[in-house]
Amino acid sequence: MSYVLRSLVVAVSLLLLAGCSTSATDATDATDAPDEQGIRVALQFPPRAAYAFDADDGALLTKLGVAEPLVGLDPQGNPVPGLATSWAREGDGRTWRFALRDGVVFHDGARLDSAAVVTALNWVLSRPSPPRSIADLGMRVAADGPGAVRVSTDAPDPVLPLRLSSGTTSVLSPAAYAAGAQPSPQDTGTGPLRMTEIRGTQGATLRRHDAYWGPPAASSQVTVDYVTEPQTRELALRSGDVGFTEGLPETSRASLQGDPDVRFSEYPSARTVLLQLNGSAAPFDDVRVRRAVTAALDRNVLADQVLGGSAAPAADLFGPAVPYGATTAPPAADVPAARALLAEAGYGPQNALRVRLWTFPNRPELPVLASAIAAQLQPAGIAVDITLGDYAAQEPELLAGRFDMFINSRSYLSDFPDPAGVLDSDYTCDGSYNIDRYCSSAFDASVAGLGAVEDPVQRAEVFRAAAATLTADAVNVPLVHPQNTAAERGVTGFTPDPLDLRPVLPTLAPAPVE
Amino acid sequence: MLAVALRRLLWIPPVLLVTSVAVFVLPRLLGGEVTRSVVRARSASSTPDPATEERLERELGLDRPVATQYLDWLVGAVRGDLGTSFTTRSPVGPEILAAAGVSLVLAALALTIALAVGVPLGALAAGRPDGTADRATRWGGAVALAVPEFVLGPVLVLVVAVGAGWLPALGWGSPQEAVLPVLTLAVWPAALVARLVRAETAEVLGHPSVRTAQAKGLSPRRTLLVHVVPRALTSVVAGAGPFLGGTLGGAVVVEVVFAVPGLGRSLAEAVGDRDLPVIQAGLVLVVAVALLAALVTELAQMAADPRLRP
Repeated sequence: MSYVLRSLVVAVSLLLLAGCSTSATDATDATDAPDEQGIRVALQFPPRAAYAFDADDGALLTKLGVAEPLVGLDPQGNPVPGLATSWAREGDGRTWRFALRDGVVFHDGARLDSAAVVTALNWVLSRPSPPRSIADLGMRVAADGPGAVRVSTDAPDPVLPLRLSSGTTSVLSPAAYAAGAQPSPQDTGTGPLRMTEIRGTQGATLRRHDAYWGPPAASSQVTVDYVTEPQTRELALRSGDVGFTEGLPETSRASLQGDPDVRFSEYPSARTVLLQLNGSAAPFDDVRVRRAVTAALDRNVLADQVLGGSAAPAADLFGPAVPYGATTAPPAADVPAARALLAEAGYGPQNALRVRLWTFPNRPELPVLASAIAAQLQPAGIAVDITLGDYAAQEPELLAGRFDMFINSRSYLSDFPDPAGVLDSDYTCDGSYNIDRYCSSAFDASVAGLGAVEDPVQRAEVFRAAAATLTADAVNVPLVHPQNTAAERGVTGFTPDPLDLRPVLPTLAPAPVE
Repeated sequence: MLAVALRRLLWIPPVLLVTSVAVFVLPRLLGGEVTRSVVRARSASSTPDPATEERLERELGLDRPVATQYLDWLVGAVRGDLGTSFTTRSPVGPEILAAAGVSLVLAALALTIALAVGVPLGALAAGRPDGTADRATRWGGAVALAVPEFVLGPVLVLVVAVGAGWLPALGWGSPQEAVLPVLTLAVWPAALVARLVRAETAEVLGHPSVRTAQAKGLSPRRTLLVHVVPRALTSVVAGAGPFLGGTLGGAVVVEVVFAVPGLGRSLAEAVGDRDLPVIQAGLVLVVAVALLAALVTELAQMAADPRLRP
């Protein structure tokens, strides 16, 4: 029998080798051991559209350190020089002039000039669905000599430099656009890391761009694996397969924090989980009912106990990721007040309130929150029927106002660090994503007024006031702000970015051997 | 047998045609606007914008009548052009074939291991009913059949990759990276094969021809290997085809847990994104492979058991 077993083991090993050598040809050198300076990382989100700039992939390329826009961002989200060294508003305020940096070399050896910028921006502007940061502005781009470009919009835009900090407006080498097809970032960016190999949604290989204009990448090579499953990312870090990963499962927080070989980082995200209320129909067209729901919920319990501390309780629409976010904890639940408000609105033992609560399971914390919310509302006299569904099927119903309550997870900064777009789409009377169906002329006027506010301090004041108005009107209930997580093992140099808009990989390096 | 093979092969095109209609219609019944889903797949925080969606509808060709869309797709598919992915905007054919190749290797290796382990174990167990090997196979098989892949995969990673550091925890492209996903996928069919072979072998052992062979003085081992096991494999062979076809597009859990770029994962993502060309091409390919696997299985059964021949 031992002979048979040995033969079986040999046969199976040979088959494995034979089978995998076939697939290995397709995967090229995906699993080559990194060189001495190289690192391997597991990132959460793969490219969804083959690194297209009219998709979120533009921001991914910035995060990888492969492509760069005209404007960079400091840790607070303020514009700083990128491929452009300075900018200024001209004339009637509809045009901005950007002076380009000298000596920028693309990964293919071409030099950055105004023609390259015009080609890149015009390509992304010509898409059927241009990125949100530059869509619907009537944006035009023209060269102003070889070293500058002029960018105009139909109406004065006080945050145009911030818009051009979006990764979706990054500039690739003219060669990338020559074929007329979707430009490829392979060897065509300007960032500290050049993409030398693309393995679809599985990964990519990046190497240091030696002619980079700024601080060089800390690692000579970065092998990127896109791993969508959080537990797999965690296990890959623990096994030492990768030296850096992000978006770790909530259940692994404690053990990773206690692991001496791991540096665990937890930091705020610019995201809010909201309990959205249909303000266009009974019962939530009555502000007393909306306030009753707010009073009945204990958001501190939701964050600390239900989600185990993987999120911060939300007192406001904006959280600690931005300077204008709320810094105080939300109040504890006040069930008697909730009951009183409901009684005032005509609901009580004789006329019990029963509502539908919808959410979707793509984000695992949402169904958990739905159950906890149903339990917290019950003592106040609100019965909740929970339905989990597919968001794509739910959205038309939500936008048509055919729902009661909906738990949504929403980023309040989209492509660039300014929430005016979200305030406009989500909370103005004509907003295209106004799920709460909130409509206030005063609120609309304050959002519209942002078109004339350039000073970041003044804009922050408007954002703070807008969030306070939404809270006062109990438009919805901001529940929690999820925390981002990342971990290094044998790697150093990670800097948390709550805005999730700045390069991450260029500063990562193998940890010195002790 | 040749006539049977030809008859079955002639049935494949009409079945695929009906399948193509079904896979064209079904994703359109999933609910939600296709263009909106595609916009959101490309850019998660995008808000609804009718003008953008109208432009995108034209870009994707969804503004044409459904029948025209289907016929255009069918003509393209016959010519080998499976269309362009709505989300990646890359040709679907190479994407799907690459992913299917990975899944096919994964499934074939898992099936090979399942047979290599399951058949001897089943035969061993049947050789001495209620013996140690039989009890061990029964209990081990019950556990293997009960543990789902999403539990087994991470446990294997935890023990073999994290604990012992013998193998990598994720990836696909080297023999070492293939071991854990293949093992995870092989455990369930191996247990099933062992049970089937045990049951069939026990039945065949009581057959008069086996008793005759024993009476002629054949050793128990030779009787088992030459006269019993081949006949006991009929039901195993019958199950191998569907397993291969099903695993091609259905190994989603293993592919996600081990970050294997296979067809199951691609199809699951495409369904979420309403990437219709990928869904259509992927499902037709899965059905085509399943039909071919069923044909091969049937022929293999006939070869093994003359009673099944026409």
